[in-house]
Amino acid sequence: METLKYTFQAEKRVKHKAHVGVVGSANLEVIFLPTNNSFSTMDISSKFEGHSAVWKSILERFFAENNCLADIEINDFGATSGVISLRLLQALEVANLDNE
Amino acid sequence: MIMNSFVELTARERAEAIVDKGTFRELLDPYENFRSPHLLKQGIIAQNDDGMIVGKGTFNNKQAVVISMEGNFQGGGIGEVSGAKFAGALELALEDNKKGIPTQPIILFDTGGVRLQEANYGLLSISEIQAAIVELRNYQPLIGVIPGRIGCFGGMSMTAALFSYLIITKEGRLTLNGPEVIEQEAGIKEFDASDKVLIWNTLGGANRVATGYADYLAEDSLEDIVRIIGKCIGLGIPVHRSTKIDAYENLLASINPKENLTPQGLQEYMKRHGFLEKDYTVKKVISNKKDHLQKQLPAQVIHSRGRSWFNGIVGKDYVNKSKIDSVMCGDISLNGEVARVITVVPDENSYYPRAKGGEVGLEQGWEIARCIREAMREDEGKVSRPIIAVVDTPSQAYGYKEELLGIFLSCASAVDAYASARLAGHPVVTLIVGNAISGAFLAHGLQESYIISLDDDKIVVHAMSKKSAARITKRSISEMDKAAADVPGIAYDIHSFNCLGALNHLIKVNNHDAPLNEDINLIKAELIKGIKTSRENGNTLKYRLKTENAIIYRALSIEVREKLKELW
Repeated sequence: METLKYTFQAEKRVKHKAHVGVVGSANLEVIFLPTNNSFSTMDISSKFEGHSAVWKSILERFFAENNCLADIEINDFGATSGVISLRLLQALEVANLDNE
Repeated sequence: MIMNSFVELTARERAEAIVDKGTFRELLDPYENFRSPHLLKQGIIAQNDDGMIVGKGTFNNKQAVVISMEGNFQGGGIGEVSGAKFAGALELALEDNKKGIPTQPIILFDTGGVRLQEANYGLLSISEIQAAIVELRNYQPLIGVIPGRIGCFGGMSMTAALFSYLIITKEGRLTLNGPEVIEQEAGIKEFDASDKVLIWNTLGGANRVATGYADYLAEDSLEDIVRIIGKCIGLGIPVHRSTKIDAYENLLASINPKENLTPQGLQEYMKRHGFLEKDYTVKKVISNKKDHLQKQLPAQVIHSRGRSWFNGIVGKDYVNKSKIDSVMCGDISLNGEVARVITVVPDENSYYPRAKGGEVGLEQGWEIARCIREAMREDEGKVSRPIIAVVDTPSQAYGYKEELLGIFLSCASAVDAYASARLAGHPVVTLIVGNAISGAFLAHGLQESYIISLDDDKIVVHAMSKKSAARITKRSISEMDKAAADVPGIAYDIHSFNCLGALNHLIKVNNHDAPLNEDINLIKAELIKGIKTSRENGNTLKYRLKTENAIIYRALSIEVREKLKELW
């Protein structure tokens, strides 16, 4: 098990909290919480160790493309990078839905 | 018409979909962050809702509480947090109903049973869930849905067996022991865990409905499941399956355990003899068992702690009130009143051979229930006599026929009887003298309102044998032992179990295997104390979360319940 923490400068504040995914085999849980800071925080718990370089590049790309401002928590059970990116986008979409 | 798959949904989506549109309100949602600290200590990633979704809403405009298990997280296993969410929600629904606010429980099962990484936390939680169900059933029909993919296993299958109505799909499975565990414990000849066709034909929803162990086979569609739930609510509270002792004992006695029995064969047999008719009553006892017993040589009496302590407490001049030799039941005079003592012992001649070693098997569960309910009937309108469970059982029985013939229901009938006895005013006290394992302990010992144990390092209390637990959690035994050092709930010894607060007292005696007179006298004095305390506490399980140990080691069980109450 490995815990990773990152911060990213970002601007587009998410509208509300969001939760997607399940900590199942090759899957992960993503939580977005709105923040008043000028940077996003990432708090990751992952079952598998030694993948910090992969996490970092996935996240750098995600923030470069979306510039979203939130406190993000991830509980990961060995998801592939594709699934991680997909869940992040899903959570972002839910966090910015109008009807909540 | 396009059907909306129900199986494909996550637990949260299922809970939200099942109630009237727009009425779902989740309690203790993932943002409350009640994760399992026990998993984290073992290096396992926890989930923010601990895989248990609890919410309120309305169903056909009636207030409802929905509890939904996430099978994709740790196999839907019941740990401390998830168990407390489940039990706490039922306890609050019960309070509502008692206050005259009708609240309909709808439970969406998807669970492997006790989460082995939290073992005894799960076992205790399940017994508390079961206690709430038996009481809640008096107010509302309890409706359970088993959609699959996981299904409903282990202690949770016993829980489901207490329900008023079970709705299952072809993708759902309902059984006590999973195929891997049976293969591990009883060998590959007994049950081949790789034979998927046999597994599905035996444990799958279609067979369970065809043999009456579940009520309705639903399509994998939200609409169909909602329709059947509505129908069940309309039918009201039925005679519960887990109380039909005569019918199921007759079924078990009429089947020859030595002969081959296929799921198809059982279906035809039950149909032919009318077992599945709604108002089935035993008209004619069909018994293969009588012939079997007549042919048997008298069995050699096998020593067991359960037998020694039972004999010591009950004395020599007693007539076994049970119909089978592997369940011993006698009445004694204790502190000026009659008390009933029950234990399970090894019996070489046990009709179902998988329960020769003191296991709680098909017959034993129903027979324990009969012994309890007989005392309840005799005591109607009088003082409710105390019932004492002497516990020394290696496990439930592991076997193919056991699962086919619904051992989960048999074990549940004992749970039902003990819980019903408590509700009828009987103090129910457990004395642990030997091992107390898994489904057998749930059936015989964990519905009790006072629990004492011999203070003996050899006593093992757990949800599963070490070998099987290692196989299921994919860990080595040494890895499990290491984890147990940090998490008392997964250790196997009685002192670790004592940490969890459910034991009222650990008692030192001279001889654990062959009690001396003074040992018996000491234990009798403790039993009298237990009976008194149980009566003072209203014969409930509530003491468990109030003991000094519980306040430390089950702090989360308490906190989850408090928080749920706030949000209710």
